[in-house]
Amino acid sequence: MSRRIPESEYKKTVSYKLKSWYDGTKDYFVGELEMKPQKEKTISDEAFKKSEKDAHEIRVRALDVTHNKGVARFSRTYKVFSIVFCVFLVGMLLYGVAALPPFGNADNPVNNEVAQRYIEQGLQETGAVNIVTGMILDYRAFDTLGESHVLFIATCAVLILLRKDNKKKANISDRIYEPKNDAILQVVAKVLVPPIFIFGIYVILCGHLGPGGGFSGGAIIGAGLILYINAFGFAKTERFFTSKTYKIMSIAALGTYALCKSYSFYTGANHIESIIPKGTPGNIISSGLILILNICVGIVVAGTMYTFYVMFRKGDY
Amino acid sequence: MSILDWLRFVIGAAFICAGVFIFIVEMIGVFKFRYVLNRMHAAAMGDTLGIGLALAGLIIMSGLNFTSLKLFVVIIFLWFSSPVSSHLITRLEVTTDEEPDRHYEHYSIEEVEALENRNSEEKEEK
Amino acid sequence: MNIFFASLLIFLVVCAIAASFTKSLLNSILIFMTYSLVMSIVWVLLESPDLAITEAAVGAGVTTVLFFVTLKKINSIEKNNDDEYMNDEGKEEENDVEENS
Repeated sequence: MSRRIPESEYKKTVSYKLKSWYDGTKDYFVGELEMKPQKEKTISDEAFKKSEKDAHEIRVRALDVTHNKGVARFSRTYKVFSIVFCVFLVGMLLYGVAALPPFGNADNPVNNEVAQRYIEQGLQETGAVNIVTGMILDYRAFDTLGESHVLFIATCAVLILLRKDNKKKANISDRIYEPKNDAILQVVAKVLVPPIFIFGIYVILCGHLGPGGGFSGGAIIGAGLILYINAFGFAKTERFFTSKTYKIMSIAALGTYALCKSYSFYTGANHIESIIPKGTPGNIISSGLILILNICVGIVVAGTMYTFYVMFRKGDY
Repeated sequence: MSILDWLRFVIGAAFICAGVFIFIVEMIGVFKFRYVLNRMHAAAMGDTLGIGLALAGLIIMSGLNFTSLKLFVVIIFLWFSSPVSSHLITRLEVTTDEEPDRHYEHYSIEEVEALENRNSEEKEEK
Repeated sequence: MNIFFASLLIFLVVCAIAASFTKSLLNSILIFMTYSLVMSIVWVLLESPDLAITEAAVGAGVTTVLFFVTLKKINSIEKNNDDEYMNDEGKEEENDVEENS
């Protein structure tokens, strides 16, 4: 539409700014920040021809309603069927949820005497000062076994998807403008990585005396390894962490955990009494098997974090 | 003793207020500067000076015990790690810059020495 | 339920909504990281230090690094269709990260 002032002056008025803000087309960075020149995207000839061929195939095979009987039948029944199915599913879920008791009621099956027993007799039966660690690694150790296996399965999935077979492709790295051999980063990493490892080991070992445990300690050690590989490059890290290292680590840790806690399949639901004595609460070496299980979980988590990063970054160990 | 506690509280609060003021200034700088290197300088200032003052205020308020030692180690750790990240981002910006003459002036080593010799000669004349 | 706690929770809700509505992927990753950081503070206020340590180490640390590496990988898949031209187009990669997301 025609205006009384030219277009360039209109863009400076308050009404244009208000309207563009309301519509969502306002550009917050124009005039405020310095913009680098933007390059245009160009498509090569081969890519253009390929995309045209793909569009033609799609049109002929999938979207052509008049000549393709299967597609015609599907498009007729899909609309009705989808609405019926959604209504049915929502109705079933609501019917199931309506039978639950109201939230926070004192008669709920959740508020029974189990929580009280954990708090009152937790220290005596497990030997751990930190009741939360005693609960997840002694009373409910079977659930933590499942969690560790879930971490292992996730790593397996990432390895299947992202590991590169072609040795030549693995060498083409995308680190063209990375700060390779940056002196400042290497000196600081030399100073910082040992305290990070020591702190991670401290958090793992004192899991039953204070907050922490296997999961957080393992994450801290994994973060330390990521810093090391960023500062020193892939070649130096391969000296101590290869794929064989990861295999030995994870199999040993998961195997130890499974051996410690799955003999209840054969002896009955309550286990045999633990042969490791519980010791005095407050020492590091106390509370029976909890220390060993903490270490196993920490090793698995550290290996998982490091494997994810290396798989995404390089494609190989 | 209550005078000493009150004095410690006031000094600690003054340090924390100074730290918060520096953070506010840094925030305004990060949003309002036009070029990347200026914004980087503002952000790095907040990470080192602001954090140092704020945690020093907390150390003063908590007195001489083990918690103060932990806070001091936290300050040392932060002063190690955050300037390195600023350095890496700045280095990336400098190496991938396409119009360096518009953003900063750069001299070679001989030009810097010539400038320094000229400055020292002028001071000797005075 | 004092003002400080309520303001932290409101900030969490605003962060979550903002992370879904931004158009640029890089911004949403950064908002996710601040969400994780404020969540770690909320865990401390609710007196569970185990969760606070784990949330800080995992959420505001390793997960964000993994997201950034993923972003770098999917931005480079567009250009890496023919590997021989990698070195010629390598210079354009770093400047185009912001545009593609």
